[in-house]
Amino acid sequence: MSDQTLQTRSAPVATPATAGRFGRLMQRSEASRGYALLAPSLIFLGVVILVPFGILLVMSFWTASGFGFDTNFTTANYQKFFERPIYTALLNRSLFISGMVTVFTVLLCYPMAYYVAFHVHRHKMLWIVLMTLPFWTSYLLRVFAWKVVLGYEGVINSALMNMGLIEAPLEFLLYSQQAVIITLAHAWAAFAILPLYVSLEKIDKSLLEAATDLGDGPVRRFFRITLPLSLPGVISASLLIFIPTTGDYITPALLGGPDGAMIGNLIQKQFGPINNWPMGAALSIILMLCIATISLVFILLTLFVRKRVS
Amino acid sequence: MDIKDQLGSMRAGEISRRTFTRNLLAAGVGITAAPLATRKAMAAAGDQATFFTWGGYDIPELFVPYKEKNGELPNFSIFGGSEEALTKMRGGFVVDVSHPCNSGLPRWVQSGLFQPIDTSRLTNWGDVMPELVSLPGNDADAGNVWLAPFDWGQTSITYRTDLFEVEGEESWDMLWDERYSGRLGSLASGGDAWWCGAIKAGVPMDQIHTDEAFEKIAAVMREQRPLLRTYTDDTTTLEQALASGEMVAAMTWNSSATVLKAEGVPVKFASPKEGALTWVCGLMIHKDAPNIDKAYEVIDSLLSVDSGKFMINDYGYGHSNNKSFEQFDAETLAGLGLSDTPADILGAGHFQVPQTQEWETKMNTVFEEIKAGF
Repeated sequence: MSDQTLQTRSAPVATPATAGRFGRLMQRSEASRGYALLAPSLIFLGVVILVPFGILLVMSFWTASGFGFDTNFTTANYQKFFERPIYTALLNRSLFISGMVTVFTVLLCYPMAYYVAFHVHRHKMLWIVLMTLPFWTSYLLRVFAWKVVLGYEGVINSALMNMGLIEAPLEFLLYSQQAVIITLAHAWAAFAILPLYVSLEKIDKSLLEAATDLGDGPVRRFFRITLPLSLPGVISASLLIFIPTTGDYITPALLGGPDGAMIGNLIQKQFGPINNWPMGAALSIILMLCIATISLVFILLTLFVRKRVS
Repeated sequence: MDIKDQLGSMRAGEISRRTFTRNLLAAGVGITAAPLATRKAMAAAGDQATFFTWGGYDIPELFVPYKEKNGELPNFSIFGGSEEALTKMRGGFVVDVSHPCNSGLPRWVQSGLFQPIDTSRLTNWGDVMPELVSLPGNDADAGNVWLAPFDWGQTSITYRTDLFEVEGEESWDMLWDERYSGRLGSLASGGDAWWCGAIKAGVPMDQIHTDEAFEKIAAVMREQRPLLRTYTDDTTTLEQALASGEMVAAMTWNSSATVLKAEGVPVKFASPKEGALTWVCGLMIHKDAPNIDKAYEVIDSLLSVDSGKFMINDYGYGHSNNKSFEQFDAETLAGLGLSDTPADILGAGHFQVPQTQEWETKMNTVFEEIKAGF
C-alpha cells in the first residue's frame, strides 16, 4: 500500500497537531500488518530452506568420527573434493548429462508448444492437459517404464529384432548415459512445454502478419520474430530442467549402469553406506554453488534478452 | 533433550550423530505437526508391530502364527540395504523389529538403538541352532542376546548352465571371465561384493581389515568392473537379466537361483572351489519399540517351523530353527544347496567377520570409487 493512500485515509481524522505522529503510527502499523501478512511465508521459507541449508553448510565443515561428528571446523572435505578425481569427474558428468537433457527437452518440446500456440484454435487447454497427461503418474513409474522400453528384451530391441534389422539386442540402450539422458528428457518434458507454450502464446500475431505483408517467408518469420520473442520461455524452460536434473539420482541409479552414475548418487551413498554425512554435505554445497552460478548466467541472459526484445 | 548437555558436547568438539539427528527430528516433527495439532494422532493400522526389513520378507507365509494370534499381519517398512536402515533409525525412525545381518551386528549394538532380547519370551528359542546364537557381537554385553538369528545363506554365483561354459571346477574366476565380458552381473553392496572380492583375491577373512588386503581386494574389484553389465542392489534386476540371457552369470544370494529354477530357467548356484561367502541375518528389537509384546510375536513367528519350511523351500535359505530341516529329506536339501547338518555349510564357507565403523566407511568409499570407474 502506498504512502499516498495512507495520507488520504488518515487526513480527515487527524487534527494538524497530531497528524504527523498519527500518520507515523498508522504507517508503522501498516508496515507491521504487511510483515504479519508476509510472516507465514517467511517463516515457512526460513524453516524449509534457510535452516536446512544452514545445517548443511555448517556440517560440511565437520568431519565424521565413527557414530558421531567431530565438530571442529575444517575445510578437509572441500580439499578432498579437489584431491580425489571421482568427485570432480562425477560433477562434470552430471553437468554434461543435464546439459544434454536440457537441450534435447527444449528441442523436443518447442515444436509441440509451437503447434498448440499457433495451429490449434479450439480447446487449447485440452491439448496442454493431454500433453502433460503422462506426467500424472509417479516419476519412479516413468523411470521403470523406460527400463522396459530400453531393456535387453524391451520394446525397442524386440521390435528391431522382429523387423530383422538387428540380430542381437542392442546393449547400449540400457545401463548407459544415453539411457539416463532419454529418460530424464521425457520425465521433465512437462516442465518445458508449459513455459514454452506461454511465451509463444503471448506473441502478438499481428507482428507475423506484418512480416508476411512485407514479404518474409515462414522461415525468416520464425527466426526473426517467433524465436527471439519466445527466448524468455526457452530460457526459463532450460532453467526449470537443468536445476532439478543435475542432482537427480533415481534415474542414473536404475538405468545408468557403471558409467552412468551422477553426483546425486554419490551424495546419497555418503549419507547411506559410506556414512560420511559431512562429506555428503560438502558435495551438496558444491553442487548447489555450481547450479547457482549457472542459473545466474541464465538469469542474466534472460534479462539481456528481455531488454533486447522490448 | 538436555540443552546443557548439547552445548557441552559442542564445546568438547564431539556431538553424537544420534543427538544431532534427534534434535533435527524434534525440530522437524514440531514443525510438521503444528498444523495437525487439532487432529488426533494417527493410530497405526490395527496397532500391529512394525517390522523393518528387506523386500521379500513382507509376505503372509512368514507370519502364519502371528496372524492366528492377532488377526492381522504386522506393518511392514522396507529398506534396500541394512546400512540404509540403520541410517534411517539413527535419524529417529522407530520400529519394533528390524532385520540386520551378523556383519553389522557389533556396530548396530554400539549404536545404542536396540534392547537385548529376553529369550524366555520366545516359544521357539529352544530349537534355535546354538552356533547361530553365538555369533561374534551377539555376546557383546554380559551374556545378553541382541540378535535372534533367523535366516542364513550364501553369496555365490548363479549362472546359466546353457550359456556359461565352466572350465574345470566352479570358481570365483567365473565372475572375472573375459569370455563373458559385458554379460556378468554383481550385487552393488560392499557387504557382499567386497567380501567376495576378498575370497577371489585369496585374502583370509581375519586379515580383511589390513591395508595390504585392502589394496589386493581393490585391485581385483577394479579388474572386474569393465566386465560387468551392471551392479545392482535389486535382486530382481539380476534375476530378470539371467532369465533373459542378458547376463550369463551373476553374484547373487541363494534365493535368486531357487526362484529362477522354480520358473524353469536353467541355472545353477555355484559352489566355488575357493568357498562361498556365508552370512546370518536376524532380528533385533528397537529400544523404544512401541509394541514390545507384539515385537516378540513377530520374532516368534519368524522363528517358527512354518516360516522355516517356507524359507527353505521357496527361497533356498537356511533357517535358524533346527526342526525346520526335519521337514525335508536329504535329497531335497542337497538340491537346494543345503544340508540336514547346516553346521557343515556354515563351516564350509567364508564367514563374514564384523568390522569397525571406520573400516566400513573406508571400504564403502573405495568400493564406490571403483564402481564409478576410479
